[in-house]
Amino acid sequence: MYVLGIDIGSTASKAVILTEDKKVFTKAVVSHGTGTIGPNQVYEEILSNSNLKKEDISRILVTGYGRFVFDDADSQKSEISCHAKGIIYLNPNVRTIIDIGGQDVKAIRLNEKGIISNFVMNDKCAAGTGRFLDNMAKILNVKTADLGPLSENAKEIINISNTCTVFAESEVISQLSNNVRLEDLVAGIHRSVAKRVASLAFRNGIVKEVAMSGGVALNKGLVKCLSEEIKMDIIVHEDCQFVGSLGAALFALEELENQSKL
Amino acid sequence: MNEVKEQKPKKPLPKSRIMVNEQTAKVYADAWAAAEKGEPVGWSTAIFPQELCETFGVPLVYPENNAASISAKHLEGQFIQHAEGEMRYPINICSYARLNIGMADKIKQPGWKKVEPAMPVPTFLCLANNSCTQLMKWYENLSRNLNIPIFFVDCLYNYYEEEPAPHKVKYLRNQLENNIKKMEEFFGKKFDWNKFLEVQKISQINRKLFNEIVALNTRKPAPMNGFDLFSYMSCLVLCRGKESTTEILKQLKVEIEENIANGTSTFGTTPEEYRVHWEGIACWPNLGYNLKTLKKYGVNCVMNGYVTAWDVAYEPGDLDGMAKAYQTSSTNSFSTPSIMDMRTKSIKEFDCEGMLCHVNRSCKLMTFHIFVGRDIIEGNAKVPMTNFDGDQSDTRVFSEAQFETRLQGLVEVMQANKEAK
Repeated sequence: MYVLGIDIGSTASKAVILTEDKKVFTKAVVSHGTGTIGPNQVYEEILSNSNLKKEDISRILVTGYGRFVFDDADSQKSEISCHAKGIIYLNPNVRTIIDIGGQDVKAIRLNEKGIISNFVMNDKCAAGTGRFLDNMAKILNVKTADLGPLSENAKEIINISNTCTVFAESEVISQLSNNVRLEDLVAGIHRSVAKRVASLAFRNGIVKEVAMSGGVALNKGLVKCLSEEIKMDIIVHEDCQFVGSLGAALFALEELENQSKL
Repeated sequence: MNEVKEQKPKKPLPKSRIMVNEQTAKVYADAWAAAEKGEPVGWSTAIFPQELCETFGVPLVYPENNAASISAKHLEGQFIQHAEGEMRYPINICSYARLNIGMADKIKQPGWKKVEPAMPVPTFLCLANNSCTQLMKWYENLSRNLNIPIFFVDCLYNYYEEEPAPHKVKYLRNQLENNIKKMEEFFGKKFDWNKFLEVQKISQINRKLFNEIVALNTRKPAPMNGFDLFSYMSCLVLCRGKESTTEILKQLKVEIEENIANGTSTFGTTPEEYRVHWEGIACWPNLGYNLKTLKKYGVNCVMNGYVTAWDVAYEPGDLDGMAKAYQTSSTNSFSTPSIMDMRTKSIKEFDCEGMLCHVNRSCKLMTFHIFVGRDIIEGNAKVPMTNFDGDQSDTRVFSEAQFETRLQGLVEVMQANKEAK
């Protein structure tokens, strides 16, 4: 028996298939989010990678911004709960989760039982989100995935003072025209995101252990900056990008178990 | 071929709601009638001592209430744009102010197309700064733009939150008396102190009745959709000193008691799975969406910290008491710990399982305490709290997806808390 969790975000779609004994069977990620081919593509890809057919999947639970519009979903849940569920599965000691998504930043606090005690999300502003980093990468003519390695070679950190994505873009352009080193500029962009995210996390209260989830956590330069801002180590699991979909799959499994009890 | 959609028949309004609508229509009709006859007609802030004009029999309309109605009907755009554009007001100021200042200018223009509820051009303004300090600049701008006087009641900020000191009460009482004198001159009428006493008595009956009604929602499940309080609260804003409000509130009480007896609720047939405390002014342009989404998750916002702002309690005949009451009527005149103590008490009384906070871009005073208040609520009331961005009148700030995600997150936390019990 298999269950599928899909996390349809604003910039990417992620999927995880679990076996009935809660083991990760397969994972897939597609860099297109809600409103695009992404959700169906990730669905097809994970089935094909697993050599499974739709009818082999006993339950599908969907999370993320596209959670209400996925036709084959049996149920849906907010990404807040799914990230909490997924992280606790990967590391039961985590008490604070920081998730930088495409358009949302979340700080989630968990109690000693791994239950959410509270959460905060960003104000209606794209500063500090994954989309902000994507836009900056575009301006700098580099891939988002290259931002992390680039910042590791920074000699100084250029100050990016604007939090507004559009204004920060013009600030970056003006720095480029001053012949500032690309690596230093990327480090400045990371610092700007880290400051914004740290404020949000502080607002929710930060309790050890702290973990990051979501694709942005793969950016080592940003994680380092954020860790400096919050003055704590940040745990990043290799499957950080799949935390939401993993949580969704775990909830799907729970729902099946609850159904069988009825 | 176009498919003809079958329209869902609208649920008939309860008698009390029809009475509210009639009363509101009369408030506007009286104001227009006065304006057409060239008689005085005023615009007033929401917690001004309305007893004064009620005694004089001079009609008032209320820009804050009007802005709420206009934006609930999604008609705010033209006024806000006019204020931000031709009139050069910045986007950062209160959207009620932008909407109203824009309207004040539009209605002077010949041939402007009325948008209901339309207010006539005022001949005077009534301003009390007890609920908001921005009101002073707003009304000053109105006064200068329209070249009309302001009857101002300056409510001293109660920094130490003690019982207002005698000099503060005296200051406010003197202003009331001074305003009465100035109004006598302006209206060309003598102030009838006996009628004033009657108006005070009615105001007290009405506020008590409203409190009794609100308290009925402590029942589980609540007999009322908590959002109804936003609608009925308008009776206290517009007609606190009128007997017609007494009649409406009596009727409403009967209807709620019937609901209690029949086990029904204006929340409808949706089971009330979660009881939540709402914080902040309503998100008027998105009220319908908010309610629809709340119902989808079985959430009834049974109580909120806004509707009690018109609970101006004093003994009829006691002008000092009235002065004191107006000075401290709005929760904006209290510190964050005091406000949150009130909310904690209310959360407990109404047995709420969570709190939903409207981070209102327009209202800095009501937003100032949101995040610190959250910690206090979590600590004292032991309930989770989430916030969403919105605005009382400006639709550009609200995001439906953001609202639903956060509400769903709150619901899932409340559900987990229930299961853990």
